[in-house]
Amino acid sequence: MNQLIFISLSTLTIVSALFMVFSRKPMYSVLSLIFCFFTVAGHYILLNAQFLAITHVIVYAGAIMVLFLFVVMLLNLNTVADQIKTMGFRVAAMIGAGMLFLVLLASLKSTTLGTFSFPEDNGMGMVEHVGMRLFTDYLLPFEISSILFLSAMIGAVLLAKKEKR
Amino acid sequence: MNTLIYTAGLGMVCLAMEILDLRKLLVPVILLGLAVIFGVNLMSWADSGPVIFAGLDMSSMLLVDHFSVAFNGVLIVAAAFLFAMSHDFYKDEQHHLSDYLTIIVFILCGAMVLTSYSNLVMMFLGIEIVSISLYILAGSRRHDLRSNEAGMKYFLMGSFASAVLLFGITLLYGASGSFKLTEIASYAATYGMDSPMFLVGSLLVVCAFLFKVAAVPFHFWSPDVYEGSPSLVTTLMATLVKVSFFAAFYRLMSSGFAGIDPHTSTILVIVAAATMIVGNLVALKQINFKRLLAYSGIAHAGYMLLAILSLKTNSASALLFYGATYILATIGAFAVALPVFSSTGKETIDAFDGLGRKKPFIAGMLTLSMLSLAGIPPLAGFLGKYYIFSEAIHNGYVAITLLAVITSIIGVYYYFKVILAMYTKAGEDTEIQFPMLYSIVGIICVALSILLGLWPGGLMGLL
Repeated sequence: MNQLIFISLSTLTIVSALFMVFSRKPMYSVLSLIFCFFTVAGHYILLNAQFLAITHVIVYAGAIMVLFLFVVMLLNLNTVADQIKTMGFRVAAMIGAGMLFLVLLASLKSTTLGTFSFPEDNGMGMVEHVGMRLFTDYLLPFEISSILFLSAMIGAVLLAKKEKR
Repeated sequence: MNTLIYTAGLGMVCLAMEILDLRKLLVPVILLGLAVIFGVNLMSWADSGPVIFAGLDMSSMLLVDHFSVAFNGVLIVAAAFLFAMSHDFYKDEQHHLSDYLTIIVFILCGAMVLTSYSNLVMMFLGIEIVSISLYILAGSRRHDLRSNEAGMKYFLMGSFASAVLLFGITLLYGASGSFKLTEIASYAATYGMDSPMFLVGSLLVVCAFLFKVAAVPFHFWSPDVYEGSPSLVTTLMATLVKVSFFAAFYRLMSSGFAGIDPHTSTILVIVAAATMIVGNLVALKQINFKRLLAYSGIAHAGYMLLAILSLKTNSASALLFYGATYILATIGAFAVALPVFSSTGKETIDAFDGLGRKKPFIAGMLTLSMLSLAGIPPLAGFLGKYYIFSEAIHNGYVAITLLAVITSIIGVYYYFKVILAMYTKAGEDTEIQFPMLYSIVGIICVALSILLGLWPGGLMGLL
């Protein structure tokens, strides 16, 4: 049963991701990316990471992709973009990306993973456990990330504020 | 640890001063704060206890050792120079002053995380704090098309590099089962060379770092971003940020990836050779001063990669010395260039035409900075190169060191192009406004360059 769900979810993820890349209209790309995010959230649930799944849906599908949709619609970008890339550029990109893909595939195929003990506790991916770890072992990165967000917020205000002249 | 907390606090003070409408005091307060932070940093030199944060032991996240304290010291001094110059540079943008300065303080925080992380999570956070703040600053001249281009280009390419970095970290975690540098190091030492997943992960992380330090072939963003950004931001990128990324890179290679040295050193040798050749050769043809320094920065990245190659003989002190001399010479050059740019309205090399006759003292400062960048004795730039090259030879990298020597001789040509423009060409009669703070920063930088060139022991013996 689990295997069946995993395979169908993976197929959906890959197909929607491919559709996102190959679609010529930005709107279709955005929509299939949203779908892709939902299927990835499904994977998280399969891995017993409920908190991560919900956060993923709220942040990516909920906030970021809606922002993308608004930008695409408000700026009326839903037209086929001009292909200005030359042939040489495409061939080079294909060779480069293909080589990286081959290396990744080969490395993952030939890796024998060590055995990691799966935690006995079933509440591993639940909110309480994430919170406990976040506010004990990972307290410092949690606090440091506030500097990152503060900096990004100042930047957003700086770039978007109307200038008084 | 305290250094980092105080710096973050300084950023908050900057924001509060905007609310209280104390903009005029902003630069003096920041400089005072940096002096205090420098002292706090000095005090942590002797303190080798665990890092305690909010009553919890955070040693697995942040490790304050001599390496991080020494680099933090250099970065704080560099930041102080930048803030001193920002007073006149942002004179016409008073309403944004506190935003700019706060972001630069936060970049300093990120740089401090980069010098002292002991966990890949912290490393990623440090890189992102520095990068995202820089994307904003690069595009901060909203009505200037070239600034927009710089911000956009840096943002798109930089976020792609961050994605590559994250992917690499994921693979490292998958192989070794930990984010901690110590555990990654022990995994690398025992299984690293036999684990393809670990090797590919390390390759991706190394690639992301090579992008951040603008090494060939990941350098394409650097000239455009350096040219388009506001000049002070260019100075920031070329000095503080570049050296902090190199410190982080060194930390990762020495205390994380030391066990897979045969794998990474092959990559680094090729990249360092390409970086030195391309950086120096393309710089020969530049006519824009900022682009020239961008390519010169690429070339210097190639030399600093040599220090990262020579891990076996603890080349940290050579990297520290080189980073410090590079920062001093580059800030010294920009301290002259910024007022010249704003007076003449040009950013090309011929903006300096006739400066040697009009302002001989200032032209002398630029000349000494350029000579230090070129590596002419007795200036500190020469000794920096000497230490790095001798470390590389001690580790058996003779051929690439020879290449480094040859390319740095080529480099002398384009540094002299600026010097020749100042002394041999006539130039227009535009009055060059040279505010006091710029010349103070320039004098201190050049004086320190000469001092370090004559008595290198103070910095060289630290690590």
